[in-house]
Amino acid sequence: MKFIRGVLGYMIAGMIVMSVWGPFASLESLGIIGGWLAAFAIIGPMWFMNHFLGLIHHEEGSSFVDMGLGIALVGIFRDVFLFEGVATFMAAVPTMLLVSLGAALGGFTAAKVSADMAKGGKA
Amino acid sequence: MTFPTLPLMVATVFGGFLFPFLIWLLWGKLVENFGPFGGWMAALFIVGTTWTINHGVGLITQSGGAWVDMGLAAGVGLLVASTVSGGKFGKAVPNILAAIVGGVLGGLILSFFL
Repeated sequence: MKFIRGVLGYMIAGMIVMSVWGPFASLESLGIIGGWLAAFAIIGPMWFMNHFLGLIHHEEGSSFVDMGLGIALVGIFRDVFLFEGVATFMAAVPTMLLVSLGAALGGFTAAKVSADMAKGGKA
Repeated sequence: MTFPTLPLMVATVFGGFLFPFLIWLLWGKLVENFGPFGGWMAALFIVGTTWTINHGVGLITQSGGAWVDMGLAAGVGLLVASTVSGGKFGKAVPNILAAIVGGVLGGLILSFFL
């Protein structure tokens, strides 16, 4: 059940982002400010469902797997199924690797920085 | 392939750096201070504003093929941050598998009508 809850949480967030965000941000609607507002309209409720109410379950003491991973994977597989399968996937690998490298550095740095900030002292 | 230059690669790495960094430092504090509404504020001010730089104006360059969303950075970055902060990676594996299954299924269903 907990696994199914996770599948649903990651999948629903990903499906809404990967079908609705684009039209929100398209030039026929609002353009870039539409994309900014899409974050409120989509990520707000999806975060509330998945990570505040806890549709996506994390075992006690587990590392955190953000719904963003599901969102990114839905986007990648949407295009894999829509276009040229493996070739479509492979063409995106450079971006995936560079973004993941940056993310690992960013996550590591944030953990170290927030631990240091928690030591206190003047803000 | 649109990664001919080192500067674009550096920019893309930084786009990945930025998103989990901001989430880790700000999201929890916003919820602490404002309750669940803090999460909506985070959605707008962290995700919305970071989306604008990463995808709106294109800090992250797409090499082509499938769209790579900055959500990948949230997934990888927060996994690293929480593991560095004492979380057990092994216990997160079922969640990673659930995200993969959900990602494939969700992508498949979207491809039926888009």
